[in-house]
Amino acid sequence: MMSQISQNQDFVDYAVEQARAMGSEYAEARYERSSEVTCLLRNGVPEPAVMGDAEGIGMRLIFEGGLAFAATNEVSKEGIRALLDKMIRNAKSAASFSKEKIHFSEEECHVEKWSVDEKKKLEDVSVESLISFLKEIDATLKDPIKDVSFVNRLLFAGYDIDEKIYANSDGSHLEGRVPRVSYFGLLTALYSGATTTVSVPPGYAGLGGTGGWEVMDALNLTTLVPKGAGETTNGIKAVAKPPTDETLDMILGPGVAGLTSHESCGHPGEADRILGREGAQAGESFLKDNSIGMQIGSAEAYVSDDPTIPGSMGFYLYDDEGVKARKRGLIVAGKFSEFLQNRATAYHYGIKSNGSSRAVRFDREPIIRMGNTFIEPGDWTFEEMLKEVKRGVYIKSFMEWNIDDKRLNQRYVGLEAYIIENGQLKDAVKNPVFEITTPKYWGSIDARANDLEFVSATCGKGDPMQGAPVFTGAPHIRLRGVRVGAR
Amino acid sequence: MSEMQTVAASAQKQLNPEEAAELALTEAKNLGCSDVSVVAFDSSESQVRFSNNNVTLVNNVRNIALEVYLSKDKKRILGGTFNPNPEGIKKFVNNLFASCQILPPSESYAPLPEGPFHYEGRGNYDQKIEDAPLTDYVKQAIDASLTAGAERVSGSLNAESTQIFIRTSAGASARDLYSSILLNARAFASDEASGHGLSCTSFLSDFRPEKSGASAGEFAKKSLYPKTLPEGTYNVIFSPTVVANIFPIASSASAFAIESGISFLVDRLEQRIGVQTLALEDQGVYKGGLGGRIFDDEGVATGSTEIVGDGTFRRMLHNATTAKKFDSKTTGNAGIIQPRPNTIVFGEGDIGLDEMIKETRNGLYVTNNWYTRYQNIRTGDYSTVPRDAAFRIEEGEIVEPIAGIRVSDSIPRQLDNIEFISSSREWIKWWEVDTPTYAPSMMVKGVHVTKAVGS
Repeated sequence: MMSQISQNQDFVDYAVEQARAMGSEYAEARYERSSEVTCLLRNGVPEPAVMGDAEGIGMRLIFEGGLAFAATNEVSKEGIRALLDKMIRNAKSAASFSKEKIHFSEEECHVEKWSVDEKKKLEDVSVESLISFLKEIDATLKDPIKDVSFVNRLLFAGYDIDEKIYANSDGSHLEGRVPRVSYFGLLTALYSGATTTVSVPPGYAGLGGTGGWEVMDALNLTTLVPKGAGETTNGIKAVAKPPTDETLDMILGPGVAGLTSHESCGHPGEADRILGREGAQAGESFLKDNSIGMQIGSAEAYVSDDPTIPGSMGFYLYDDEGVKARKRGLIVAGKFSEFLQNRATAYHYGIKSNGSSRAVRFDREPIIRMGNTFIEPGDWTFEEMLKEVKRGVYIKSFMEWNIDDKRLNQRYVGLEAYIIENGQLKDAVKNPVFEITTPKYWGSIDARANDLEFVSATCGKGDPMQGAPVFTGAPHIRLRGVRVGAR
Repeated sequence: MSEMQTVAASAQKQLNPEEAAELALTEAKNLGCSDVSVVAFDSSESQVRFSNNNVTLVNNVRNIALEVYLSKDKKRILGGTFNPNPEGIKKFVNNLFASCQILPPSESYAPLPEGPFHYEGRGNYDQKIEDAPLTDYVKQAIDASLTAGAERVSGSLNAESTQIFIRTSAGASARDLYSSILLNARAFASDEASGHGLSCTSFLSDFRPEKSGASAGEFAKKSLYPKTLPEGTYNVIFSPTVVANIFPIASSASAFAIESGISFLVDRLEQRIGVQTLALEDQGVYKGGLGGRIFDDEGVATGSTEIVGDGTFRRMLHNATTAKKFDSKTTGNAGIIQPRPNTIVFGEGDIGLDEMIKETRNGLYVTNNWYTRYQNIRTGDYSTVPRDAAFRIEEGEIVEPIAGIRVSDSIPRQLDNIEFISSSREWIKWWEVDTPTYAPSMMVKGVHVTKAVGS
């Protein structure tokens, strides 16, 4: 039996055939259906559950070197034909204006159906069970943990299912289905009269992945969340000031280091940013056209992006340009070795796309996105790394962070953090500020532990904004000869 | 259902948004719902994206979407669908209802506000925007920017027209229209020197692509060869673009945010939260301004709400649910779950920008920022990264461009240290500012500025 989304194959094929018949150099169409359910438990009380669906067709074509995208949820052949007429006018207008014409790299065609397995079907997960699930987590936070009361608790859980069929004028026909579960929690802690906002996991990160509800079961959040909340209390209670007037060593926890892989390697390595296409919004990059092979870090700096990790939040097997996904080694032994590419940027570089083009909904154009970006694990243990630090700071987790739009100047402010003296953790320290340039950061890494961890996040990019699901990950890492500041 | 029937269902004629709203309301009432609100949107968006002086994409999106709120026996649920054919709507409402039925009764339930409702005027709308020659405007902006000193220009031009309808079980029935045309241009005089220009309006006659492009180009040229700056505290002039981002007073005044503890305004009602000259309103529709709606998602007429007056936090933003909890009245700011601002209007000051620079004597001028993040949402401790043109002011004059800095401060401290508010205001909406905001420039004393090690 055909899947429901397959019923719309005819529209997709029609759009591509018509666009070609009208003279387009290239055409693609994507019929996509997304459904989602989210529940919010606020201070133990459910807010109205939210259910949504979005369905429609998005089309893209190149005509005379101009690129046009259009989408509609009023899907009919007449409507598609009318939109194609408009798109060709728009593409012509764009081409007449621009000296640089748009071309796509030549890529292998694929005809395949792919999907993520669900052992516990998400469509069988009721809003009632979502709320019960959140109530169980909330119950673990109602009583003070280590004398800290979590007086406000915003707990979100939900799922989404994304189904799409895709065809392009090169002959690719793809059908994909990705179910995804997610959790996010924001808490207000009260200790000794002072209030502090924390998230668990810290850094406004989430938890979840692709698959059925078994993914959420495996996370064991009724244990993980109170444990994480308990860990934040050491930062909440901390009073010691950070050692701001000395050069020292630093160990970063997986959550902090994982985000640096995304912010300070993944984003600057997006080829569309390097070529200036996101200049007015998400920004550009400190990397240039000729930065492949550039030494950016120490020999211990290894960062990869891999959308094919099973169960990961950023999982996909084919991107939204019909290119097969694969692991990308972004920084290898301190050198930038690969940028994230789509077909337009790949053409510019004279290479093949590495399958990084994604759209978050039928009515958004595909753009270059990370999948799951992470610092590769090493062979150290945390204890071994710690033992070799005479004087340093361990920033286990953080809340505030940001980075400039070229990705050169970043900051992470510690939540749970400790002084290190002679290989041992000492006093908890209040909000150490780690503010450093990207080359200095990657150049300071001298050890990577073997304890790789991932959290989920929503990556913002594009105009209109597209929030894409991703993992960020890292093991503990050690940096030599850095400094910290104070808030 | 057979495969052929499914194909037929997918291809069946779709309803216009008014018909779709009516059908959803009827279906929900037939199911026995006591409270139903249906908001239907019919939106057309056109966009031209450009970079390095070239158009990189022309984008057209047409969507009809419904937002449906249902309640029965105090059980509440909310949903959104992009599937506006009759079968799709019926199925969606029935699915919502089925899920609603298994929920526990809501402790926060409040009935939808009852009519009669009186709506004044309409949203800011200009039909001419629908046929505006967007590519020509982009060319004007780029040319003006290059003439002003830029080497290359990137950006986007967005034009949007939306019809919106509401039907509620409590008697609300209305239609509104709004439109906008937004130019966001970023000019580069070198890789290290950029300037930002915005033109945001609901009326084509107010749209100034050349002016915005020229402004971006001028800022870029003035930013060539930027200097670094020692960390420390500075008196800083923030442009309207920055003010609209770093002072989220209106969203923090949402009763939902306050009750949830994620606002620096918790327990501050009727207290001074800033200097006496600080004033802020929420407006349903600021006539002649940008965006806005005449009704909220509960069918209540939007209006004017004084959030801050004379530096004092006067009023929270409410929907029916939060109003009941706080023993207050709705302010016409629903969001079914959380109240939200419609249009944010800062009060004007009494000084021009040139005079403000002169009076600041020594300090900084920051024209744009991005990536604002909080260490502690409750206390308002945050940092943000200035981008594009920023300058050092010495002896009342701009003396040199600066780069590589970060503002690390606290919202309450800054609101208490506003020294000047400009008499001119600008409409702001862009990547970092979602809600249309009419903002002045402000000079804040003693702003903590940091920079990265290694720079």
